Amino acid sequence: MLMLQYQNLLLQSVLSERLDPETPPLGIDQVVSDFDNVTFHISNPDPKDKTVIMVSMYIKCFQDLVKCGAKKILEREYGPYLTEPEPGYDVSLLLNLTDGSIPSDPEQRDELVNKIALLKRNTFAAPFEKAFDKFDQLAEEAAAEGKDLYAPQKSDNEVMAIHYRDEESIYVRPSYDRVTVIFSTIFKDETDRIFGKVFLQEFVDARRRAIQNAPQVLYTQKEPPLEIRDVVKPSSNADNMGYVTFVLFPRHLVASRRENCISHIQIFRDYFHYHIKCSKAYMHSRMRFRVSEFLKVLNRAKQENVVKEKKTASGRTFKHPN
Amino acid sequence: MPALNSTFLGEDQDTRVVGNFAILPIKTSFRGPSYPSNADYDIIDEVLDLFRANSFFKNFEIKGPADRALIYGILFVSECLGKLKPTTSANEANKLLNTAAVEHFSIPGDAGFPLNSLYAPPRDRNEVELLRGYLMQFRQELAKRLIEKIYKDDPSKPNKYWLAFTRRHFMNKSL
Amino acid sequence: MAHLGTPAVVMDNGTGYTKLGFAGNDAPSFVFPTVIATAKGSSGGNISRKGTEDLDFYIGDEALAAANGPAYSVNYPIRHGQIENWDHMERFWENSIFKYLRCEPEDHHFLLTEPPLNPPENRENTAEIMFESFNCAGLYIAVQAVLALAASWTSNKVTDRSLTGTVIDSGDGVTHVIPVAEGYVIGSAIKSIPIAGRDITYFIQNMLRDRNEPDTSLKTAEQIKENYCYVCPDIVKEFNRFDNDPDRFQKYMADQGLHRRATVDVGYERFLAPEIFFNPEIASSDFLTPLSEVVDTVVQSSPIDVRRGLYKNIVLSGGSTMFKDFGRRLQRDIRTLADDRLAANQRATGVKSSGVDVKVISHSKQRNAVWYGGSLLSSTPEFKNYCYTKQDYDEMGPGIVRNFSLFSMV
Repeated sequence: MLMLQYQNLLLQSVLSERLDPETPPLGIDQVVSDFDNVTFHISNPDPKDKTVIMVSMYIKCFQDLVKCGAKKILEREYGPYLTEPEPGYDVSLLLNLTDGSIPSDPEQRDELVNKIALLKRNTFAAPFEKAFDKFDQLAEEAAAEGKDLYAPQKSDNEVMAIHYRDEESIYVRPSYDRVTVIFSTIFKDETDRIFGKVFLQEFVDARRRAIQNAPQVLYTQKEPPLEIRDVVKPSSNADNMGYVTFVLFPRHLVASRRENCISHIQIFRDYFHYHIKCSKAYMHSRMRFRVSEFLKVLNRAKQENVVKEKKTASGRTFKHPN
Repeated sequence: MPALNSTFLGEDQDTRVVGNFAILPIKTSFRGPSYPSNADYDIIDEVLDLFRANSFFKNFEIKGPADRALIYGILFVSECLGKLKPTTSANEANKLLNTAAVEHFSIPGDAGFPLNSLYAPPRDRNEVELLRGYLMQFRQELAKRLIEKIYKDDPSKPNKYWLAFTRRHFMNKSL
Repeated sequence: MAHLGTPAVVMDNGTGYTKLGFAGNDAPSFVFPTVIATAKGSSGGNISRKGTEDLDFYIGDEALAAANGPAYSVNYPIRHGQIENWDHMERFWENSIFKYLRCEPEDHHFLLTEPPLNPPENRENTAEIMFESFNCAGLYIAVQAVLALAASWTSNKVTDRSLTGTVIDSGDGVTHVIPVAEGYVIGSAIKSIPIAGRDITYFIQNMLRDRNEPDTSLKTAEQIKENYCYVCPDIVKEFNRFDNDPDRFQKYMADQGLHRRATVDVGYERFLAPEIFFNPEIASSDFLTPLSEVVDTVVQSSPIDVRRGLYKNIVLSGGSTMFKDFGRRLQRDIRTLADDRLAANQRATGVKSSGVDVKVISHSKQRNAVWYGGSLLSSTPEFKNYCYTKQDYDEMGPGIVRNFSLFSMV
């Protein structure tokens, strides 16, 4: 598995089973988590009525996402199913298996299931969609003004900050010729930091070496990049903080690529950490292999039956019974 | 709960015994040396009752002469089922098994009898006659009641659940 | 609720199946075979590679599907309950966490399970992987039998929540009888029985073949096992009940794929198949001791002061103990054995005993009892205090996981 999936596998498998009219309704009550401090709760709001399923989601940084228009996106994607959020959760969808709101055509049903499995992805898409729209608007304005592409940009464009983890955030900043996405990252573990650096260097170099179309990646440590210097909150851990900047150019933002681009970039941190862990696992298997090789060598170095003539104190020899 | 023993073991004192085979009374209209049974449940009923359960067992502890009658009965049922095909009708089965019941068969003590290690031979000619006569009667009655049982629902073919037991052999033996 | 912190992850890796899920749920989120399919030719030499071959693998059901093709081969990282191939296991966990559970291990505490008599070195290896590869926030390793005991507390028959009892754990491959006293396994008295779910399935398949049923596949046999079988008190009487009540014979529709269906009659195997636990002789020729006798022997070979507790709390765990009335029959058989011994003792010594209380506990969470017990324990607020954290590990090294303090949930 090279890429992480965008959808939640449990939501997908449970719902595709439960929404199938051929399976008898079963009760369900599960709390599962997803990356980036997201928690899902699938349940029957009325435990006696198994034909009504509620899917709720809690996102730690939901307020940040709402500021970027997450509610609009949710309304667009899940309109008919949205309901009053369950206490303790931010978004709730209500699926009634009996009132005809679930499509009977298997393909459409699968589509609905996949859409719900992408609930987290779609909610997190808000800041990116907003930024991309803003980019469209700015680019149009710029074209109308006939502005030189290389002229210094205005810096009054607002930066959207999503504090998706305790000490880590995503910053998105649209401008007329690009959209800048900055991740602040922090490594709890020394080894991880070293692996992380190697990976990030690869990202930075990739563009130079092979993949010209890739977005530009910059990596800075301690000091936040200029774009977001005003919005970064001072942190006690500032020394360990690193900043990864992605610069998305217009070619990444054409309508056909947008969705894909959003999916990829929002899962960047998890993808990054996943690969750090995989590399460690790979190193471990190399180490185990090495150890077993060394052990073989050591075993070869063992002396074979050292039967020497032994003498007693008086100088006589023992006779071996065989 | 291992393989089940006969419930007639307790009556051993009053029953006639040839060698160590119990000549238990049976309810039957076939002619022979057996005393008529006046209980509702005789050794034939018991054989048919225990046949299916005991067929799964390979070990059996013989506790008395009645058990030997039981073993003989179970093995005979096994033999009968072996002669039936899934398509045999009740009429055909009647003919087939009746012949099988009276056709020459070996009794304990004969050279060809497969269970001689467990059964003692009869002592004299009279006993040989008695045992042979009794076994013939026993076999005829057992075959008759077996057919009644396995053709109860459908006289055109035997009950497949019974027929499935042809591949199992009680104590790994057959007659 | 969810905001109080991320739920702990509970992983129960068994020889046959792995159960994954989050603490607090009453069922695992994922249950799949403990298998990993690796690309052929990549597992052996380990000579330095350039690409990402080490990520080219599948686990669980996907692994079995991938292994149907020519490019992958299947591996079973766990044998006889113990992890044998750490390379494969590490990658199995990697995929479990990131693909199935979708969690950042740094944010979660983990509860893993181990079989009884697991060598401490295996625990250390596990800790090394969990802390060094995955940086998991905290780790607790629990013995499966103890978790099964904890799971039985959901039964309303259980009044005192003790960690003393006999666990009968029957999965697919093997059945274990494990005595536990105050949360500690009495290793010397453990017994295992080579009869479990798979043998029952084979037995049913044999009976279907004897009858020439139109579909005698393993899948059909397994479906019949799960949906039609039950335990009866007496097989001879049960045969007669079938004769008198034709409704006891049932029909199963076997789906043979490609829209072909076959009707399979279901007969005596309904009660005969589970009977092989109580009468192994009907299915096997080399193992003949009934389950009840094995349990009795296990209790008798445990220290005398815990025997009463072991008889009083016999707990079932695992899919093959799910047959209807399994617990009732077992309880009756063990009670008979215990009473007979007491009576014999009384005759010999003349001392009258106050009797032994034999109780077999069945409960609704039996199938995944070990996982469920883990979920119960790890959802308590104290759980995190019992875990070792990454800081502890960095400070003390892998040796710390040799000892975990026992939970008392009361």
